[in-house]
Formats: sequence, structure tokens, C-alpha cells
Amino acid sequence: MKVKLRVNNELIERDVDPSIRLLDFLRETLDLTGTKEGCGAGECGACTVLIDGKAVNSCLVLVGQCEDKEIITVEGLAKGKTLDPLQDAFVKEGAVQCGYCTPGMIMSAKALLLKNSNPTEMEIKKAISGNLCRCTGYVKIVKAIQTAVENSKEV
Amino acid sequence: MSHQWIGKPVARPDAFGKVTGETRYMSDLKLPGMLWGKILRSPYAHALIKSINTAKAKEVEGVHAVVTHEDVPGLNAYGAIVQDQPVFCKDKVRFIGDFVAGVAAETKEIADKALELIEVEYELLPGVFDVEEGAKEEAPKVHEEGNIHLITKVEKGDLGEAFKNADVVVEKVYQTARQMHAYLETESGVAFFDDKENLHMLCGSQYSHRDQLQLSRILDMPQEKIMVTSNPVGGAFGGKDDLTIQGQLSILALKSKRPVKIVYSREESVLVSGKKHPMKIYMKTGATKDGLLIANEVKIYADTGAYANLGRSILNVAVENCCSAYRMPNLKVEGLCIYTNNMISNPMRGFGANQSNFAMETQMDIIAREIGMDVMEIRLKNGVRQGDEGALGHTLTSAMGTIQTLEAVKNSELWIDKDKYKNTPTKPWKKRGIGLATAIKGVGYGRGLPDYAACDMTVLENGNIRVAVGCPEIGQGNSIAYGQIAAEALGFPVERIDVVTGHSHATPDSRTSTASRSIYAGGNAIILAAEKMKKQLSEFSAGINSSKAEYLLEEMVDQALKHKKEFSVHGHFEVPIPDKGIPGAYGLPHLVYSATTHLALVEVDMHTGLVELIKSVCALDAGKVINIQGLEGQSEGGTVMGMGYALLEDIELNEGKTDTLNFNKYLIPTSLDVPVIETIPVEVTETTGPFGAKGVAEGVCIPISPAITNAIHDAIGARLESIPATLERVQDALKINH
Repeated sequence: MKVKLRVNNELIERDVDPSIRLLDFLRETLDLTGTKEGCGAGECGACTVLIDGKAVNSCLVLVGQCEDKEIITVEGLAKGKTLDPLQDAFVKEGAVQCGYCTPGMIMSAKALLLKNSNPTEMEIKKAISGNLCRCTGYVKIVKAIQTAVENSKEV
Repeated sequence: MSHQWIGKPVARPDAFGKVTGETRYMSDLKLPGMLWGKILRSPYAHALIKSINTAKAKEVEGVHAVVTHEDVPGLNAYGAIVQDQPVFCKDKVRFIGDFVAGVAAETKEIADKALELIEVEYELLPGVFDVEEGAKEEAPKVHEEGNIHLITKVEKGDLGEAFKNADVVVEKVYQTARQMHAYLETESGVAFFDDKENLHMLCGSQYSHRDQLQLSRILDMPQEKIMVTSNPVGGAFGGKDDLTIQGQLSILALKSKRPVKIVYSREESVLVSGKKHPMKIYMKTGATKDGLLIANEVKIYADTGAYANLGRSILNVAVENCCSAYRMPNLKVEGLCIYTNNMISNPMRGFGANQSNFAMETQMDIIAREIGMDVMEIRLKNGVRQGDEGALGHTLTSAMGTIQTLEAVKNSELWIDKDKYKNTPTKPWKKRGIGLATAIKGVGYGRGLPDYAACDMTVLENGNIRVAVGCPEIGQGNSIAYGQIAAEALGFPVERIDVVTGHSHATPDSRTSTASRSIYAGGNAIILAAEKMKKQLSEFSAGINSSKAEYLLEEMVDQALKHKKEFSVHGHFEVPIPDKGIPGAYGLPHLVYSATTHLALVEVDMHTGLVELIKSVCALDAGKVINIQGLEGQSEGGTVMGMGYALLEDIELNEGKTDTLNFNKYLIPTSLDVPVIETIPVEVTETTGPFGAKGVAEGVCIPISPAITNAIHDAIGARLESIPATLERVQDALKINH
């Protein structure tokens, strides 16, 4: 079946089995491996992408459900070498250790900031509560998101 | 001494690729003609294999290899210390999930279909599921030679006499959990043979050169023909120390003659990967009414599961830490590492110290309360100092930071205002408590094990300097620390240092990224290489222009490039060990110890038993801090992992079976569970460490667990002797108490 969707601002039309997971479509078909798989059950958030601006676990969505949808993955955030304020803050605040949860974490934070440009600490914690991180204890991740919020205000 | 790079929050160079998604982990790799590998596993905890028939599986279209023990050309066994785990089982399976056969096929679905067609006939055997039962003579044998993998006994002083003189004796039995590492990237890798028949193994791990050695035994191939790439890794925490999938993956690549990839599902990872050793600990501790510890009698049973992995070393670190960070004039400790038909246990952050520290730090809390002494003062009174005799009888010759970390916590706002914090629960039906605990943790392997690191340092054509050290970057941040150490030692900009880690050929053997050793061992090797590099470059520069007295290193590098002169040096560092060993205790003691003290404020819901960690203080002595951001990251991550150990995490087994197979049932802390964490670095510099550094990674997750359970007692007056402190356990404790 032919599916048509936008991925990182690019129109994609592919003849694929509509019952494959969006996660596999991104990773295997489009080779966008920034989106990770950690549990395959919607529990860890490593595969989080934006679908029409909302954070979604791409392991729980079939590509056939994404017809005409707008998908943004972690690869779609930086403009060339210029990082998104979230990415930049994650680097500078030391919010990255092994880095495997990082793309999903950033995408959940991105979805939050798209609908709320000035979130409280609790709103940030809630927004990333579906994203597991085993390295950092989340402290520097929350701080990085706060820094990105501050830096976005200054621009 | 002021430093340009040491101690500064220099951002990690690997972070850029990780935030953009550009970094390719092993689970992201894709090669032309690549097949998917899958494993057929034992459904039984203990059974004889009567026959394996792969004929039907081999006929499935798209299947390129079906392999069993018959396809292993060399030694069909692996293990970091003793090789007791079959790559593929031949006669017998020893745990649910044991490796029986493997398939390489064009798609995962085809591989799964082929697995279903492999016929295995089993004859069930009675199993060993309880660690104490397993230690008995009459227990079914998991391995031919018996179930006792190791017994360690240490005795010192006169225990009988000491207990007679004790004013207080506390005797308890403790049980710790089967905690999972829960690295976000499951075991994953790709293997292929090139046209020169070299094996390339790309698989996240903590020691490339040991993987290479073990694969050479399994494949009966020379080590130099095996190229191992170990990083990047999506988390390890000790769980990727010994081989995980490399043995099976290499056999599939060998037989299929194609690149093969294995990525464990989370369920498969939970079932098959090692866990922190559950330990049952009997402890009888005596003290005087003044709070002086005088005797400790300890028996430790460690459940290592079906195969040894690093179990014997882990048991001995539990033995080493059974008196926490205290002097103990009279001691008798017996540790047993026991094979069972439970899932495998393996190294996990703390390496046996967490378990015995939990027991001893609980004992300390009980003793303090029984004699009416302050929990801080009793620790200050008994805490080890440099020059003291350690609990096992050796002299602590290196810089010990126990007292300094306790003092730092004593001066923290949470300790000073503890009554105010305790008296302000968020709800009338909740109660608050404060708990304290301390720990030491040896840096490196300890006496009796080869412990070294090496650095190859090279001036590159682009004017950067490459620093190659074997210890893999498993996420902990050793690579940026290596960059900072090299920059400082050379007097060269950190952004022009290219750090390479975790490769059998591109980096020299530096042993593992484990045991809180990568900074201490690798950092020292870098400094030795830097001294050579500076000497060679300055001799060369002086030869060109002897009139100029001194050059900056950058100028020397420019001159070397201009004259097309190559510079490459090697630094090798042997980790120092104590003069004397502990009789009967292999690998003990250590020379260098880090110290950590945790203070925990908890709130307990008296209706539900729910415990929340509200605030914690982590005072740590990791020696000189190399990267403050990295240190805080370790402290915060370690605190939260230790909180999970105390409150949430366990894989319960019933005759070796579990239904806890994913994060829906195995809960780890989320962003909403995390307390306010204050990190206080106490820099008791270690003269043998690089710029005075020791190690940090393990200590930060050890005392937090007993600090939390001690805080629960402070809140509700009931004692948790088994962790995790689940709702049921806290409710039971409340019932017993009231």
C-alpha cells in the first residue's frame, strides 16, 4: 500500500506494508535511526516523535495510521550545524550521558514547548515522565529544558 | 594548584551526535546483505537435552544459518573469570532463557518462524532456586563440580570474647533484590567476516580486549584477526562487562558468511541478561555503650544464578564492604557464592558492595538507637581514616574521605534543619524521616588481578593530538575526562584532543570500564604518555632552534607538522596494589577507596505504605574532580538508581520463572520520582591518582539505599530488613510496629 506523509518537512511517498510500526518505517525504511527502540511497548519513550506536534511513542503507531500526518524526528530539529535550543541546552547542561534516551527526551520536551513556551518545573517533569533515563537521574535533563526555555525567551 | 582544564564543566564532544541523532549505536547499524539473528532459548530452568533437530528450520526460505553447539569451532564456553557458560548448550540447560540454538535469516519474521521449527527434546531435572538450599550437599547439582562456586572466609581477633564484652548486640537477617541494570539500549550488535577472514564484532561492551580474547577461544582464531568495537553503548552499568551476545553472534556470522545483527527485545533482555546478585546476609554486630564497634559476625549467601560470570569477585567485594566504612577489631565473615537455576547474576554498579553495605548501615542505625547515640556521631566515631587498620585487617594507606564526607553532610542544610524538615509533612497522614548512611568503594580490581591501562598518543596531520585509551565510553563520560586530563598534562587546548576509546585495534588494552577505575587507571596512563610526548617534542624543537628557551606545546606541534615529523608515544600505567593480601580472599583488598555519604529525607504515606524520597544530600570523595558536570551527573544518576534499589526494583522469580519482563512491571524511577539532590564534592586528593582523582561511579549509588530505609524507620518506627521497600513490605512493617 502506498503511504503518503511528511517527515521532517519532506513529503514521503512509499509503497510499504501499512501494518509496520512507524518506528520501523523511520529506522528501517528511511534510515532515520535517531529514533530509538527501548522497550517496544510504549513504556520507555525512547522512540518518541512528533505527530502533528504531539509527542507519540512511534512503537505504538502503525505507518498506515500516519497518512497525511506531519512527523518530526530528532533529525528534523537542527538547521544544518545550528542546533535547536533544546539540543544546545542538553549539550551545555551535561544532560547527555549514554545518550540513548536523549532523542526521545528532546522530542517530548519539544512537544511541551510547542504548546507551552513557559512551562513550570512540574510541567516539564510531567511532560518527560514517559521517557525513561537510567544514567542522569533526570536532574540535568530538567535543567536543560529550563535553560532552553530561558534561551528561547532571549531571542 | 590552579588548573586550566581540570575541574571545569567542559561539554562532552560525543553529546553533539547524541542530541542530533547522528550517533550510530550498534543497534542502528545496517550493512549490505545483513541478516537478522535470533536465539532459541530453554523454556526450562533445569533439564537435560536429549536431542536437537534443526532439519526443518534449515529448509525455510530466507534462512542462511541454523546453529547449535556443533557449530562452535573452538571452546564452547565463556566467562570473564571461569568459562562455565556454553555459547550453545549441548547436554543440559541451566536457566529459563539458556541458549540452545541460533538462526540467521533475511528478516526477523523468517528467523522467528525457523526457531519454531527447531525440535528439542528435554528431560526435566529438579532445580535449585533457593540460595541456601543450593549450598547444601544434597541439593541437585547445577554444575558437575557442585553448587558452591566460591567460599571466602576472613577471621580477625577474638569474636567470642568481644561479644561477651559488648553492651549491645544486634542480630538480623537481610535480603536484597534482583535489581536490573535497565540500560535503555538492549544487547545489540553486528558481526561480519571481511575478505581476509577477519571477524569484525561491533557490540556494546565494557572491555574490547577481553571480548577479543573470549571470541578467539570460541572461534579458535588468532586474537589479532578479531576486531572488536565496544562503543558507543546505550548504557551498561556493569551488565555488559562479560560477553552478552558476542559468542552466539560470531557463530551465526561464521556459518551464514553474511553480516548478522542481533537486537534483543526488551523481554529477551530482561529474561537473559544478568542482574545484581540477590544476597541473603546474616549479621551479628556488637558495640560498647559508648558506640564503639567491637565485633561483627557475617554470613553472606550470593545467588549467582546458572553461571558464574564475575560472581566470585562480586562476592568478595561484598565481603570487603561488610563493615561498611568502619574499623572493626574482631571479625568473622563467611561468604558463599552459589550456583542456582535462577537467571544469571552479574556485575552491577557497586559490584557486591551495595548488598553488604545495606546490611551494615542498617545495623549501625539500630545500634545507635539502642544505645541512644546520634546516628552521625556513631559513624564519625567508627569511620575509617588514612593509616587505620581496615575491617579486613589491612592498613588503609591511601587518602580516605569517610570522615570528610560525614562532616560535609553534618554541615548541610538538610542535616542542620532536619527537625524543621521532618515536622512539615505535606499531608496529615504522612510522616517524614531522615536517614544517614556511608560507604567506601575500592577503585580498580584489588590485589591479585592484573590491573593496568595504556594510552597511545599521536600528533595527527591536522594538528590535533589523538589520545587512545582502551576503557570504553559507556556513557559515564570518561572520554571527556580523558580529553581534559590530556589537555592539562600537555598544556594543549582540549578542543584539539581527539579521544578514542573501546576498540581492540585502535586503542591499547586498558582493561575494563568498570570498578570506578577508568579515570584513575586511564588518566594515569595519559599523563605518562603526555610526559613522553612533551619531552620528545621539546627535544625536537630545541634541535631546530636551540636559541629559543621554551616553546608552547602548540608551537612544537606546528613545527613537527611543518617538518613532516611524526610523533607517537605510549604510556602504560600499572594500578598499585596493597603490599599484603587478605588470606583466603581473592582480589582483596584494594589500595584506593572512594567515599560517599548520603542523607535522605523521606515521606511515608501511613495509609498506603508509599515512600517518597523528598530530598537527598550526596557528599562524595572521588578525589580531585576532573569534570564537575560529569561528577554531578554521576551523583544524580547514582542516587536515583540507588533509590530504585531501595524502593522499587526487583525481579521476583518462582522456580526460575518471572512475569516481570518489561518496563510495565519492572518500574524504574521517572522524572516525577526524583528528589532534590544536593551534591557536595569533598576533594580528598589521592597522590597516586591523575591530578589527585580517584573514581566516582559506584560509590554514589551505594549508601543512598540504606539511608532511605533508615529514614523510613525514622519516620514510622519500623525497620525494613528486605529491599525494595514495596508498599506491601512497608504496610507489613507498620502492622508489626503498631
